Amino acid sequence: MTSRVDRTVGKNVSRVDGHAKVTGQAVYVDDLTTPGALFGGTVRSAVARGTLRGIRKDPSFDWTGITVVTAADIPGDNVVALIEDDQPLLAKDAIRHVYEPVALVACDDPVRLQQAIAAITLDVEPLPPVLSIEDAEAKKQIIYGKDNVQKRYVIEHELGGKTIDELILACDVVVTGRYAVHHQEQMYIEPQGMVAHWQEAGEGAEAGVGDGVHVTGSLQCPFYVHKAMKRAFALEGDRVHIGQAVTGGGFGGKEEYPSILAAHAALLSKVAGKPVRMIYGRKEDIEATTKRHPARIEITTGCTKAGELVALKVECAMDGGAYVTLTPVVLSRGILHAAGAYKWKHARIHGWAVATNTPPNGAFRGFGAPQTIWAIERHMDRIAEKLGKDPLTLRQQNLLAIGAVTVTGQTLTQSVGVVECIEKAVKSSDYFAKRAAYAKPSPAAGSRTRTRRGIGAAVFMHGAGFTGSGERRLKGKVQVDLEPGGRLRVRSASTDIGQGTETIFRQIAADAAELPFDTIEIETPNTSNVPDSGPTVASRTVMVVGSIVGKGAKMIADRVRASGTGDFATLADALLAREKKVSTLVEYEPPVAVQWNDDTYRGDAYPCYAWACDIAEVEVDLDTFETKVIGFWAAQDIGKAIHPIMCAGQVEGGTLQAIGWALYENLVMKDGHILNARMTNYVIPTSKDAPPFTTFLVEHPFSGGPSGAKGVGELPMDGGAPAIAAAVEQAIGALCNDLPLLPEDLFRAKSKSQVARS
Amino acid sequence: MSAHAPAGLARTEMVCPKTIAEACAVLAQAHRDKRAASLLAGGTDVIVDRHLMPIEKARPLDLVVDLTGVDELTAISERDVAGERHLVFGGGVTYWQLRTDRRVLAAIPMLDAMAKDVGAVQIQTRGTLAGNIATASPAADGVPALMALDGVVKLVSEGGARTVPLDQFFLAYRKTVLAAGELIAEIDVRVPLPGARVTWRKVGTRLAQAISKVALAGVIEEERGTITRARFGVASVAAVTHPLGGVRALAEGKTFKALDRATVDAAIDLEIKPIDDVRSTGAYRLHVAKALVWRALAP
Ligand SMILES: Cc1cc2nc3c(=O)[nH]c(=O)nc-3n(C[C@H](O)[C@H](O)[C@H](O)COP(=O)(O)OP(=O)(O)OC[C@H]3O[C@@H](n4cnc5c(N)ncnc54)[C@H](O)[C@@H]3O)c2cc1C
Repeated sequence: MTSRVDRTVGKNVSRVDGHAKVTGQAVYVDDLTTPGALFGGTVRSAVARGTLRGIRKDPSFDWTGITVVTAADIPGDNVVALIEDDQPLLAKDAIRHVYEPVALVACDDPVRLQQAIAAITLDVEPLPPVLSIEDAEAKKQIIYGKDNVQKRYVIEHELGGKTIDELILACDVVVTGRYAVHHQEQMYIEPQGMVAHWQEAGEGAEAGVGDGVHVTGSLQCPFYVHKAMKRAFALEGDRVHIGQAVTGGGFGGKEEYPSILAAHAALLSKVAGKPVRMIYGRKEDIEATTKRHPARIEITTGCTKAGELVALKVECAMDGGAYVTLTPVVLSRGILHAAGAYKWKHARIHGWAVATNTPPNGAFRGFGAPQTIWAIERHMDRIAEKLGKDPLTLRQQNLLAIGAVTVTGQTLTQSVGVVECIEKAVKSSDYFAKRAAYAKPSPAAGSRTRTRRGIGAAVFMHGAGFTGSGERRLKGKVQVDLEPGGRLRVRSASTDIGQGTETIFRQIAADAAELPFDTIEIETPNTSNVPDSGPTVASRTVMVVGSIVGKGAKMIADRVRASGTGDFATLADALLAREKKVSTLVEYEPPVAVQWNDDTYRGDAYPCYAWACDIAEVEVDLDTFETKVIGFWAAQDIGKAIHPIMCAGQVEGGTLQAIGWALYENLVMKDGHILNARMTNYVIPTSKDAPPFTTFLVEHPFSGGPSGAKGVGELPMDGGAPAIAAAVEQAIGALCNDLPLLPEDLFRAKSKSQVARS
Repeated sequence: MSAHAPAGLARTEMVCPKTIAEACAVLAQAHRDKRAASLLAGGTDVIVDRHLMPIEKARPLDLVVDLTGVDELTAISERDVAGERHLVFGGGVTYWQLRTDRRVLAAIPMLDAMAKDVGAVQIQTRGTLAGNIATASPAADGVPALMALDGVVKLVSEGGARTVPLDQFFLAYRKTVLAAGELIAEIDVRVPLPGARVTWRKVGTRLAQAISKVALAGVIEEERGTITRARFGVASVAAVTHPLGGVRALAEGKTFKALDRATVDAAIDLEIKPIDDVRSTGAYRLHVAKALVWRALAP
């Protein structure tokens, strides 16, 4: 057999994309040189709600060489194919948000393009807009279905013929709370962009590429774009070629929207007869693309005097924005995380999403869970306060564990590392001592600078992979080919968007095949040369797709080794010479034990969960209400850290994104317009604002993941905000039930309430 | 391609004078020829402004006068004015120079603290004091610091020179006394006496790359308990950087003990009415301005 090769899983191999990115050689979509390409731009409604009566082109403007397209030019269905068919690619009559695209313009000169866009006037008859969850629920204006509700889910657990209210009222201690969270912008480094080239029949052959439409751009999910393009252009799948350029971050923001941008660029290219590049600037990107769903969550609970949780009632309303996009799935994940990491005897969780005349909200790291985890974690603190217990002790008392049953009736059978997470975070942060010390309000030292400290904790879990029967329906696939010299080529649709897929897949494939790391190639995703592995979302890339990458690589390597004796490369070349093509297509098979019922919303919501404990220590300036996070401890059970540095990077980056959501970010909207669509005034934290992180990667392996790995992508986004809020609350003694916690909010809360604390 | 392409630069002429006199001559000629001209120093305001300008509003620019080659503008020197020590900064002095010049670090560490709070290192190495002053943003950081140091600008044109105290330089939101053909050659500041209480505090949206919500610079000097000098510059609370002359008048000549928070707050109420905008609220700004002034003045 071959000589032993060093295993790479669990080691910090250098990133395969690192050198090109650091030296500026990586080719992002804006760096693609496309000879003869036109610049494309978008005419948007500027009105939150109304009826489009006409599109006027200024007759005094010189339109030569300028292409203008509208809804009438779309050859297929004018819909962004995803879940519901409610969103048009270009508005035809109804205007549903301010940044609704109405017409597209292409021109060979970027300055004239802007002038041309300004020379187009839209005649829109305005209608009263619905701008908030409360507006939508008031139903004065109906903008979606019968009642403005885009989707509704209910989870019921062990009600035994009673209502949840009855079960709660039978408890010793009842606590009610209302919590709210706000929008969040993904703020990936690279704004969205697509380059499209429409090849008429025959043209493609000349150029050495397939006929049809070629789109390359910044995206997470090539096959989502592929599906949308087929509908929009009424094309067979083999005429639509969607490729990924090096992508500068996504965080979910490049999950849905790339379908729109790809179709826009392709439509302009088709009509203009030339390639078209549409690269958004930061402002347009912030305005037009999806954000995290705002939510309002009401929780009522009953527990015993001793602090045993008994009954939970959650009423969760999310703002879906103008179109459905992925809202049902976000809502679903949201309610499936609403019970937190705790045992409840009885529960009823009710979630609904409403339509508003604001830009559509969609996928964002955590996908609904950060919203509901915010609420349940804040509520745990409210219960602790009422019981006079330490909030972390209350959590420890009620934790889910192996053998425990979740609110969907799932019995946890493995990979629950939450106790170890709490132990590690508590010990390293000295949580209990600090919590006790900060509880005694020592007068802030010195008259010049008045500050006070606080410490807070959050405990949480995040389901890894698609929800319920998602993976079973999806049937993600990966292909592995044998190549000359004994190299393996992994073909998957999982994109590297900065999180390290390319590196990690190589590690997994190399170890499974027992081959050196650098003999593995990862094909750059293009729908024409990779199978559909499912989207790059839901913390599923390593756990789900990674597991079949390993399986495929091992199958090919085994065939080579079984073909004779000798060194691997020689055997591989001989096998290839005999068989011409040596390749395998592997499909993901979810563990059989995982069963889910979509109708009753009962069963195994996720094959497994990642678990975590976050502890935040803050110092708040009592004059300016600026919060400085002076320490952050994150202990997260991710099953197995395939690449520890990148995992720690996910934990720190995700946590910083959560800190941003809690303390800095604030999307300012007026009449449906975003007033701060710039990096200067939509404020995300800088490295200078980042706290010192202490990160623990806890490894309680999951039998279904490669080397035991679960997901790490989303989990870190879940706990930062509630941990910070708990710490801020201790520091200043003002109730923090609503995000954000900007200095202005804390100032207002402090001057208004001086809430009596028990 | 960004949403707002920098338009109308195709016909723009760029000149790079070597001296202040040469720069003034070019400016004067452009003025006589009715050509639209702009001075360019670090470019960190003027290029960004132009980039963000909606295409419909972008007027053609005939001439750009690049000042980065004018060595006189980058000098830092000392002078004695009526027995008091002053530092003189050329208009082209950058924040990075403030952070690295030994005289500045020793004499006025507050300017170092201010410069550290500007943007990030890239901006600090390009951005200049004159650019900060000429842009006349009420959120500028350099301006309040220089104002609290009794800054006086020297304006030079082909016809001559004049000096204007910084607290009289700004007329209204982004309007100044700078006339066509004039440039800011120098900024003179008085070095606070040893033992003076010198304050710099920027309350920004974050710790770097931040525009202030409120920023306060203060210089308080005393003689045997009596306040002899109380000078301020406060950013982002009015249409222009504000000197808080009322607080100065209240404090100077009094002992620290004779001042109380309520009286100082009342003086501030009379002077500024901060507004709500995307960065903050008027109520918060007023509260913070009062708190910071009190931190500077409290016994
Ligand atoms: C990312 C970023 C972060 C920033 N952060 C901060 C910050 O934290 N605090 C802050 O205060 N500012 C900040 N700024 C704004 C800017 O950097 C400063 O105002 C800087 O001082 C401007 O100087 P400049 O040399 O770049 O000016 P320029 O852009 O070159 O010029 C600005 C204006 O001044 C005029 N001008 C230049 N020199 C003269 C002269 N000698 N005489 C007369 N007029 C002249 C120009 O014609 C122009 O109108 C930031 C800017 C950016 C892009």
